[in-house]
Amino acid sequence: MRDDPIAHVLDDLMRLDDIYACIVARRNMISVMPSSEGFKPEVNQIWDVIKRAMDDVFTVIGEYSGAGLSEMEFRLQDYEVLFYVFPDTENALVAIVPALANKGLLEVEIENARREILKIMNNPTQKPNSQKKDDEVYVTA
Amino acid sequence: MISKTETAIGMSRKWDAREAGREVAETAIKNLTRPPNFFLLFATIHYEKYGGFKEFLNGVWDVLPKGTPLVGGTVAGFMNNYGCFSRGASALAVSYPCMDVAVGVGKNTKRNPYRAAKQCAEMIQNSLKESTYKNKFLLNFISGPVMPSIPGVGQKKYIRSGFVSKFAMQALGLSQALVQKGLGREDEIFEKTVQQLPDYHMILGTSMDDYKGMKNYQFFNDKILTNAVVNLGVATDLNLDICTTHGMKATDLHFTITKLGAGNHAICKINNKPAVPELLQLLHWPEGFLTEETMSHTILYYPISLKRRGREVPIVMPAIMKDSIVVPCIIDDGEVSILTVSGKNLINAVKENLQFFDRIQPEFGLFSACMTILQTLGHKTNIIQEELLNYFKDKSFLLFYSAGEGTYSPMTDITYANMSFNTVVFGHDKKLSN
Repeated sequence: MRDDPIAHVLDDLMRLDDIYACIVARRNMISVMPSSEGFKPEVNQIWDVIKRAMDDVFTVIGEYSGAGLSEMEFRLQDYEVLFYVFPDTENALVAIVPALANKGLLEVEIENARREILKIMNNPTQKPNSQKKDDEVYVTA
Repeated sequence: MISKTETAIGMSRKWDAREAGREVAETAIKNLTRPPNFFLLFATIHYEKYGGFKEFLNGVWDVLPKGTPLVGGTVAGFMNNYGCFSRGASALAVSYPCMDVAVGVGKNTKRNPYRAAKQCAEMIQNSLKESTYKNKFLLNFISGPVMPSIPGVGQKKYIRSGFVSKFAMQALGLSQALVQKGLGREDEIFEKTVQQLPDYHMILGTSMDDYKGMKNYQFFNDKILTNAVVNLGVATDLNLDICTTHGMKATDLHFTITKLGAGNHAICKINNKPAVPELLQLLHWPEGFLTEETMSHTILYYPISLKRRGREVPIVMPAIMKDSIVVPCIIDDGEVSILTVSGKNLINAVKENLQFFDRIQPEFGLFSACMTILQTLGHKTNIIQEELLNYFKDKSFLLFYSAGEGTYSPMTDITYANMSFNTVVFGHDKKLSN
């Protein structure tokens, strides 16, 4: 998992103060976790109940992903769990954030992570942008 | 017509401040064949924790040709040809032979906004007075609001205690003067700048952190500043114009401001009653609905349209002190409309804004937009990026999110607004291009 490019995308998300945890998962299965940074301690006490609730949400995602379901979220105690679904799959990027975080700003970066992970899924040999060398990244505008 | 304009967007998503600084400069400079006339640089506040902004600028100057005029600062997020981001750094570098450029700086903006504005504008005036180019543009970029820390309370947007609020209202002016914490006073600086440089087209933007309003930094060449105004002045033969749009719509809810306070920065009474309870009643919100936690999810989405020196000004209400509402600019009393805004209206405001520039074949564009738009739309802000990309195609554009923005042109006068999109497009007249 250490060299998994998707894990490196999750590492980037975990560095944001208000991302307490993030994973790529499907029902009953966590596919990818961050490689270098663990979840923030805030979620430890509530992880078990969040995990159970997540699995129920994945049932809905599995049912409606093909119909265009792209995002879901729920609030549990002081946390919000955001699901960014990978189109036409039962997989989602899941992020746990504080219930009253500045969610709009976080959403922008979670969406950037979803797009980057999608690119990696579609082209498994590709490195994430954060691992690329400078001359690989940008074009003239 | 063969374009002689070279522009490039620099971009970095690296976490380490020095590496990010180097990368944002490298990715821009490598796409130019000549040194840039200017380098506009924006970064999110994250680099403060990952090496600091001194190191960030050191990284930029590792790469950027010495003497390049550079201004910018921290912002809540940005958008460019590559996407929309609330973390990282981006730059706009422009190289064009028929362009004169000057930068200016003024310090202590919260303590003495007029002096800072005057000092900053004079630097532009003196540097560009010999320029023979008739089209003039100014980016007026100002340190944004910083929540003052109240003893025993800390930095809060909502203060419930009447005693603390009374103290805080009285201390607001003192806090601005002594420790330079408080409102950005960008409206006052912008007005003074317009007075100094009336023949310029201008965009106003403010420096911010990640929507928390705790700190912000400005960049001026190789210096990191706080509580400063920085100007980029451009004189060129390129065609240019500015435009402000917002998606706010008036509702049938109105009230009358009957008492102002804190140097006309606070609404104390509306309809002759304490302002906050009366506002809650007008909005059908229960007593106690507004708290420190709910502020940014509720009241910011109900802007109000009020008057400032006779001009209509749509603003958000960023702080509550017991029964009074603090507003981001100096206001007049009188009739006020409560506005409403939706995601669809915000996106339509961008389309409307770009339509204004239909006659210009763009070379590059710069935008300041309200950070509450970013907070409201979240990742749907990518829809705006697609609109901009569709307009600019392979030409560079850079939008930064701030807290208090506006435009000025000699034809349309000052437009100061919250929740707005403010654009300058440089280019050629389409008829001449064809």
